[in-house]
Amino acid sequence: MAVRKIKDDIYSVGAIDFDRRLFDELIPLPEGTSYNSYLVVGSEKTALLDTVDPTKVGALVENLNELNVEKIDYLVAHHAEQDHSGSIPFLLELFPMAKVLTNAKCRELLISHLQVPDEKIQVVADREKISLGNKTLEFILAPWVHWPETMFSYVAEDKILFTCDFLGSHLATSELFGPDEANVYRAAKRYFAEIMMPFRTSIKQHLEKLKGLSFEIAAPSHGPVHRNPKLILEAYADWAGDGVKNEVVLAYVSMHGSTQEMAEYLTNNLMERGITVKPYNLARTDIGELAMDLVDAATVIIGSPTVLAGPHPLAAYAAFLANALRPKTKFVSVIGSFAWGGKMVETLAAMLANLKVTIIPPVLAKGAPTDADYAALDRLADEILKNHQAVGL
Amino acid sequence: MKKYICLVCGYVYDPAKGDPDSGVAPGTAFESLPASWVCPICGAGKDQFKVEE
Repeated sequence: MAVRKIKDDIYSVGAIDFDRRLFDELIPLPEGTSYNSYLVVGSEKTALLDTVDPTKVGALVENLNELNVEKIDYLVAHHAEQDHSGSIPFLLELFPMAKVLTNAKCRELLISHLQVPDEKIQVVADREKISLGNKTLEFILAPWVHWPETMFSYVAEDKILFTCDFLGSHLATSELFGPDEANVYRAAKRYFAEIMMPFRTSIKQHLEKLKGLSFEIAAPSHGPVHRNPKLILEAYADWAGDGVKNEVVLAYVSMHGSTQEMAEYLTNNLMERGITVKPYNLARTDIGELAMDLVDAATVIIGSPTVLAGPHPLAAYAAFLANALRPKTKFVSVIGSFAWGGKMVETLAAMLANLKVTIIPPVLAKGAPTDADYAALDRLADEILKNHQAVGL
Repeated sequence: MKKYICLVCGYVYDPAKGDPDSGVAPGTAFESLPASWVCPICGAGKDQFKVEE
């Protein structure tokens, strides 16, 4: 694994995981990921910012060997999660003189999650500076992107900001700055949707704080380094902001075709009304793609047949996920079918309690959809259009 | 002063205790918390809270 130089005496030394296809046994990684670790070599002290997932610690050690690193004075932990801090215990064995620099909250988590010895930890405060000689690390607490202990480091001499998961993306690439901007944008949006979206309040606050900081490079802990941070910061402001787009996410599953027919009919109807539709057949959906479309959609429609008196489990899964990710969606409805009865709509509505949405009356067909059901879907499409127009879309 | 419950995770904000970890002194009413304040357990914003009955 090659060492990549970012600036004089600042290197990317982490691991690129081209093969990994699933994160947290939950999030698909169609493009792999990377665990970025950065070496900052000052005239007096050397710091390693974050480590790598323990499965890839060999690559990190190889990179440090390639740079002939003989001592590490500080291991900076921006975030206690295992994919960044999991190799700290091993590195402390290799570099027994090193101190772990982190904030008070992260200290607790490093001790409870990774059994990092307390005496190895030096707690730093917001805006505290630690000199490395000709370079200075300044710590900026940035809680809730995406754990309560997350923080950034800033090196003013090089105008570089290390943001840990914030601004990151699951994208394995040999290119330090990634492929073209469109690809980086897409991967970063997917990551935002999966990891950052529930924390829009905190994100807006951190973006405000960063306006007072001059930096030319933003180096996250996953995916490419941003050499034009303005682009990703503007994208984050857009995604975290309250504005929605004239879009409908239609997440549905069908057992014998009735819900499928209704979903296709509604899709066409919404298209005729000039609304962008993102239909997802949940039986074959990459949930990361679905999450990404939840970032902007004004309306979410869940489509489900009735199974054992409730929603199809795949529809319940999608509702559970949307509820946990807390997108800025404004309107929700349900379409689907039933054979003899049940409380599918009530169950789904209860699962979406976190969302600040207006519920548009659902459309349910008894068995195969009839002309009356199609007319109801026409009215649903009209209602969605009216609601979108009412919020200025 | 009323207690408020987080609808996402169930954390209860008790104004008598405040939220010292986030720099909120004991005796701070929920209404006086800054808009940037978030639930210390799950990160949800103030809009996800309601008065605890």
